Amino acid sequence: MDFKFTSEQSQLEDSARRFLKDQYSFDTYLQQLDADDQIDNARWQQMAELGWFGLPFAESTGGYDGSLVDTCLVTKEIGAALSIDPYIDRVLMPGKLLEYVDTDASKTLLSALIEGDTSIALGLYEESAHYDVSAPVSTLKNGRLNGKKHFVSHINDDKHDNKNKVIALVTHNGEHALVLVSLAQPGVATQSYRMLNGTRASSITFSDTEVTDKAILARGQAAHDAVEKVLDYSRVTECAYMYGAAKAVYEKTLEYARMRRQFGTSIGSFQVIQHYLVDMFIDLQQLESMLWMMAVKGESTDAITRKKAVSCGKNYFAKTAVLIAQQAIQIHGGIGVTEELDIGHHFRQITHLSLSNGDANFHLQRYIQCDQQEASND
Amino acid sequence: MNLDFTEAERAFQQDVRQWMAANIPPEVTERTARGEMLDKALQQRWEKKLGSKGWLAVTWPDAYGGPGWNATQRYIFDLERASAGAPAASPFGVSMVGPVLYSFGSEAQKSHYLPSILDGSTLWCQGYSEPNAGSDLASLKTKAVRDGDHYLVNGQKIWTTQAHWADMIFCLVRTDSEVKAQRGISFLLIDMKTPGIEIRPIRSIDGHHHLNEVFFNDVKVPVENLVGEEGMGWTIAKFLLTHERTTIAGVADTKRELERLKKTLKSTPSGMNASRWDDADCQRRVAELEIELTALEYTNFRTVAATDEGRPFGPESSGLKIKGTELQQKVSQAFVELGGPLSLTWDNDDEIGSTAFNRATRRYNFLRACTIYGGTNEIQKNVIAKMLLDL
Ligand SMILES: Cc1cc2nc3c(=O)[nH]c(=O)nc-3n(C[C@H](O)[C@H](O)[C@H](O)COP(=O)(O)OP(=O)(O)OC[C@H]3O[C@@H](n4cnc5c(N)ncnc54)[C@H](O)[C@@H]3O)c2cc1C
Repeated sequence: MDFKFTSEQSQLEDSARRFLKDQYSFDTYLQQLDADDQIDNARWQQMAELGWFGLPFAESTGGYDGSLVDTCLVTKEIGAALSIDPYIDRVLMPGKLLEYVDTDASKTLLSALIEGDTSIALGLYEESAHYDVSAPVSTLKNGRLNGKKHFVSHINDDKHDNKNKVIALVTHNGEHALVLVSLAQPGVATQSYRMLNGTRASSITFSDTEVTDKAILARGQAAHDAVEKVLDYSRVTECAYMYGAAKAVYEKTLEYARMRRQFGTSIGSFQVIQHYLVDMFIDLQQLESMLWMMAVKGESTDAITRKKAVSCGKNYFAKTAVLIAQQAIQIHGGIGVTEELDIGHHFRQITHLSLSNGDANFHLQRYIQCDQQEASND
Repeated sequence: MNLDFTEAERAFQQDVRQWMAANIPPEVTERTARGEMLDKALQQRWEKKLGSKGWLAVTWPDAYGGPGWNATQRYIFDLERASAGAPAASPFGVSMVGPVLYSFGSEAQKSHYLPSILDGSTLWCQGYSEPNAGSDLASLKTKAVRDGDHYLVNGQKIWTTQAHWADMIFCLVRTDSEVKAQRGISFLLIDMKTPGIEIRPIRSIDGHHHLNEVFFNDVKVPVENLVGEEGMGWTIAKFLLTHERTTIAGVADTKRELERLKKTLKSTPSGMNASRWDDADCQRRVAELEIELTALEYTNFRTVAATDEGRPFGPESSGLKIKGTELQQKVSQAFVELGGPLSLTWDNDDEIGSTAFNRATRRYNFLRACTIYGGTNEIQKNVIAKMLLDL
């Protein structure tokens, strides 16, 4: 057993850290929050040049065959930097979905995504689904799609060209289907808004939108399994993001406790503050352990092992990373609850991710189901 | 990164598992299944069994008769020991005074004391705490005054676990009251049969007698029983605090306890339900504990891996005692609470519903102490804070 990184992995982590330090700051973040189009083309291009777009994909599609541990090393740094560049939502998730679908058409599309020639968002969630994507109301019938998808990442109301596509999970002939739709098509309407973490997302309405057979990427069980897998993949990378954010928050808070003076001394000299900091530190160690467990088991070929490990980890992250962020605010006092300091923004990011793609309760229930399946298989 | 045991480690695990299955006395596993502790005779029988295999002092280097295992092997051993239903060896001989002796003791002390710790024939207890020296251990007052080739020891120890079982006690005593408190402390080995030693039992809330007060009245201790030099006691005590962290979290026993809880819930009929397990709240409670245990287990794995790479005290290891003891308490509390009325009985001989539930409060009550002994969790946090904040 070892928790060591290869030298390539350490280089990847270093280069991600350096890139974000050079190209991203709290000011960058604040500007990005206010922008209508939050994808900064220049920086997005640099991320592609660093090889991040191809990182976890097969060489045959133009990728580098990286593991989930590799992508976690990158997303952890993105989280630490407070960056809202949508690497998870707009590269890892669509890319992995196309990889899991594994058809000639999906591979061609994946290559284009890796090259930066196309832009794909996923439409998985619906209004009444809660976290359960297994029964989409959106329906494809006689070549026409009707329905509405919510929380589709980084879609702007004015970016409706042919390069911008969405893959939607829909019901078709009583089973699942993954369909590719261009935002420029007739019958596609978007309504964009900001999410808790400051990113822009859209609700997309399909009204008799034309979907040819060619645009159906996967059907039935294959579509369902691909979605389940991609959700698990993103959950792990989102936990890596939360870990990076929680670590940054802890380090900044430790520094603040040293520097901030009240009653003629640093607040770090008060035992109650010391014990809060120790709690944060120990929880952070536990999060790191959980992260690498998830990153390794999250790629298990056994579906129950994968699901159980991911839900175990996400449940723990959703509770514990949030706790760290809350303690950080408490130790900062008033300045901690303002938009003027990064601490409060990290808190929003962590809260956001704790509630996306399944909250603590959803994953607890899923963990219990996996445990039952395991027990009945024994 | 690789989170699996190697083939050799899995083979080792099989060996240990087979040995445990064949050698743990059935009375031991029966008691564990009911959630009970062993009495002196049974505990010692079990320890001698381990000793005969050379598996009692598992942390010792092979030069001193240990098995020479690395941290991964020690961890695997502990897992198999616990899941087979046997308690760990009493720590005072094998985990405390043994390592002190082979690290600081004279050749004569090593050859005199180590063999009978290795085979489980001599039982030890730890005499550190005093009525007015608990967390503030350096303020201890029990005095040892040099008198020719003897020390004359006077004073009182308290909370001395298993003093009534022990052949020997290792004590921190004050040999110098002129210097700074820590510098005046020495480490002394005392035969429990020496005249002038008196033991008074203290019953704890689990209903058992583990704890004692030990009084010293002009107790004559030969000078050759001093370990190291006069004034080195504090250094030795601090050495012990950082000695072994690979099993300090108690993961192996907590794992076994959670399994035992699950099994008990599944086999206990309940009202309209086939079993307590059909109650969704039971499943939730157990799942949440299992998830916490997973986090602790992987933190423990990181510590084990780092130890085998020669970095035994990385940041990941600092919280093991705190998180580990908190979880021991939570699991034992869940056992009590999920048993409901079945947990209210105390000393019934006939099983009511489930003996495991009938006895659950014993362990729960006992484990209220685990966040207190071995340095309270508050003191642990003070120490870690010092390190984090560079105070
Ligand atoms: C079951 C059991 C077995 C034991 N076995 C042994 C044994 O075999 N040999 C032995 O020598 N001792 C033994 N002990 C004693 C144990 O080490 C002490 O109980 C422990 O060190 C705490 O000391 P105390 O009980 O005097 O509590 P106190 O030191 O009086 O502490 C009381 C409370 O104050 C808190 N506190 C104290 N100082 C601080 C501080 N600086 N900052 C913040 N909080 C503080 C503590 O955390 C605790 O909550 C045992 C104890 C128990 C419960």
